Amino acid sequence: MQLLVNGKTYEVDVDEETMLLSVLRHDLGLTGTKYGCGDGDCGACTVLVDGEAKNSCITPVDSAAGSEITTIEGLADGDNLHPVQEAFIENTAFQCAFCTPGFIMSTVALLLRNPEPDDRQIRAALTGNICRCGTYVRIMQAAKSAAERSGQKGGK
Amino acid sequence: MTASSDIRQDAALVIIAPPQWAGELELREPPGPDATILMMDHRGGATAFSGKVEYGQGIRSGFSLAIADELDLPLASVSVILGDTALVPFDRGTVGSLSTMTLGMQLRRAAATARGALITLAAEHWSVDESSLATSEGQVFKTSDTSQRVSYAELLEGKNLQLSIPEDTTTKQAEDFVYMGKDATRTDALARVTGQAKYSHDIVVDGMLHGKILRPPSYGARPQQIDTSGSERIPGFVMVVQEGDLVGVVCEREDAAEQAVAAIRVRWQEEPELPSDSDFPALLKEKAKEMIVLRESGSPADGFAQADHVLEGSYFVPHVANAPMETSAAVATWDGGNLIVWSGDRSPFGVRDELAKALGVSQDNIRVIAPEVGGSFGTKGTVEVAVEAAVLAKAAGRPVRLVHSRAEEFMWGTVRPAAFYEIRSGFNNDGKIVAWEYTGYHTGDRPQRGQRGADTPYNTPNVRIAVADSASPLRTGSYRSLGCASNHFAREIHMDEIAAALKMDPVEFRLLNLSHPRLSRVLQQTADRFGWKDKRDDSSIGIGVAIGYDAGSFVAECAEVTIQRRNVRVQRVVAGIDCGMVVNPEGVRNQMEGSIIMGMGTALRESVEFGSGRLLNSVFSKYRVPRINDAPQIEIVMSGDPTTQSTGAGEPGIVPIAAAIGNAVSDVTKSPVRNLPIVPNLP
Repeated sequence: MQLLVNGKTYEVDVDEETMLLSVLRHDLGLTGTKYGCGDGDCGACTVLVDGEAKNSCITPVDSAAGSEITTIEGLADGDNLHPVQEAFIENTAFQCAFCTPGFIMSTVALLLRNPEPDDRQIRAALTGNICRCGTYVRIMQAAKSAAERSGQKGGK
Repeated sequence: MTASSDIRQDAALVIIAPPQWAGELELREPPGPDATILMMDHRGGATAFSGKVEYGQGIRSGFSLAIADELDLPLASVSVILGDTALVPFDRGTVGSLSTMTLGMQLRRAAATARGALITLAAEHWSVDESSLATSEGQVFKTSDTSQRVSYAELLEGKNLQLSIPEDTTTKQAEDFVYMGKDATRTDALARVTGQAKYSHDIVVDGMLHGKILRPPSYGARPQQIDTSGSERIPGFVMVVQEGDLVGVVCEREDAAEQAVAAIRVRWQEEPELPSDSDFPALLKEKAKEMIVLRESGSPADGFAQADHVLEGSYFVPHVANAPMETSAAVATWDGGNLIVWSGDRSPFGVRDELAKALGVSQDNIRVIAPEVGGSFGTKGTVEVAVEAAVLAKAAGRPVRLVHSRAEEFMWGTVRPAAFYEIRSGFNNDGKIVAWEYTGYHTGDRPQRGQRGADTPYNTPNVRIAVADSASPLRTGSYRSLGCASNHFAREIHMDEIAAALKMDPVEFRLLNLSHPRLSRVLQQTADRFGWKDKRDDSSIGIGVAIGYDAGSFVAECAEVTIQRRNVRVQRVVAGIDCGMVVNPEGVRNQMEGSIIMGMGTALRESVEFGSGRLLNSVFSKYRVPRINDAPQIEIVMSGDPTTQSTGAGEPGIVPIAAAIGNAVSDVTKSPVRNLPIVPNLP
């Protein structure tokens, strides 16, 4: 089976029922995507599949074959961080940071479909992600500042 | 087992702990080279060694800032090695929010010693008096002619020195800090937003296999008959391991291991008649062990006899789950008789000692490395997982990684003890509390779980404080602030009940009964920022206040809530903290916010449900932790004084929050909140 991940094509030899999370972490060594619950309840495993946020722990790999998959490792452009990554750093929107890749991917997906979200829309997009350290206030700030930043970029 | 030679090869100046610190650092032997807490290399950089671990509190950043300041080094020249038993001095574990307080000060003194040594070297270099020299940015310079400078690297060329920290080492004053006391970006931020930070789940060793343990369906269940033939048919199956009570499988992939363990057919013998959550709180008193009187002063009997009023109340806090986002995990690899384990535990040396005990291997042959830790909030099941991974790896003859599933983490990780309190207070019409009788019951097997925070901070002449341990069918462990938050919930709800009985303002009532200046100050400043007086008249919202103390710090919190259709929404929280001198204000705010969110979960909805030895809500869809749409607006007030010693900031924020929210809810319902969680118990 062929998978297109972070712009690179990989040939993987796995059962088609295998979850995308397992393939990313085990077969491709992309450990930035995290296992948090295996039930799609916590969002730690969020990746983009054709630009949409998906819980990779409950996404069978064959359903993502042929799609463009983006993980946290594929966001930055060389040394240039994605605006959402920058915003998370500037707002220290993490503590242990185990949930951070998932939150960043969910935020990126939101801004792709809605570059100017209001607070309610940000909350709705991120409510499937759990941060047990409780950094939600900062994550809100980070998402808002990333939205402003990408809005400015779009306007140029 | 030591691996220190590589990293020490480049040592130019080594600072070791003085023998009199052996107690504080828990050094096993008189400190020698293994007690190195700071090392300077020939490039002029500094490396600190600490047995603490990074589980989100920003300890690596905090230590880096402290060393950069005391040593006058650019931040980029400072590195910190944490939690590797082969590299760092013995440490009891990262507990009680005390890292900044104790170890931070030790590192500052180590750095100050190094800076002093560099000035001595420069004085010899120029043949001048030490008092004519100063340091900045990794250089020593002459104060009379600041263009005359020599870098630390030049001074350390060809050197190989070792110094113990003198007793009279002085550290810098707050006004001389460049990094400390200011908002700083965490030094590990980049790795954390790019997916490069490595947790136990992410450790990969050559030839590594994946394990899974057969877990009983209920606490205390024992297998009567085991048929593993189904496992062998799973692709990627390697072997079944049976050693003593441990039954596990080892496979090529983690998902194969899950399938292989699920394919084991077992006939279980389960424990009959295990209690369920509905047996609480009655069971807490029923199963109480010895009552420990923590304080008895004055004469409570006389106090109650003379009081204008007497009020009694009982309070209940259920078991709640730590549920860190990273489940417990370990990677174990054997090389002959030597074992290396990666384990995201708060106490790498504790894991090492437990491994030695469980495996019958000398501590000297075991190295435990704590990678990044994905949340802890007390404990998780890391020690057992480390032992199990080591057993599987030994049997398989290859490295093994073992990761708890979420359901395993809920059931075999740890929960905060449940607690039950009986409070009797006597008070007069003038608002003064004259008698206070407090009895607490806490489940579980952690020492002192019920004692922390049990004593009243209010100025009351006749007091009796007593606590008793009790039994739990669950696996209780530590939790953020442990029993301190539960104790504060009971006491601070009762305080509002007294204020209501006297028709007094809850803030004024507290101030009237406080004589501790730092606690009064933090309460006053927090109430002012919250706008307490104005909000008292707003009947569309509920407001509540609570105060507390923990880890040497003092806190006050005001909460504003609305209640709609039996749903409580916390709209705004203002939280004040006095934790003495603040090393990194951004870090303190982040910890306070996190404590408030976590405590809000325990206040509103969290409660572990169980029956017949099984957990009934061990998934995040049923065990409702706070999510982003629950988060209130939070403002942090720093009320500390930079001349006071730094104290804990990681835990105090959780201490008053459940009572502040509970008191805000009763402001609406006009009935005290005596049982947690609040939402299912709303009238």
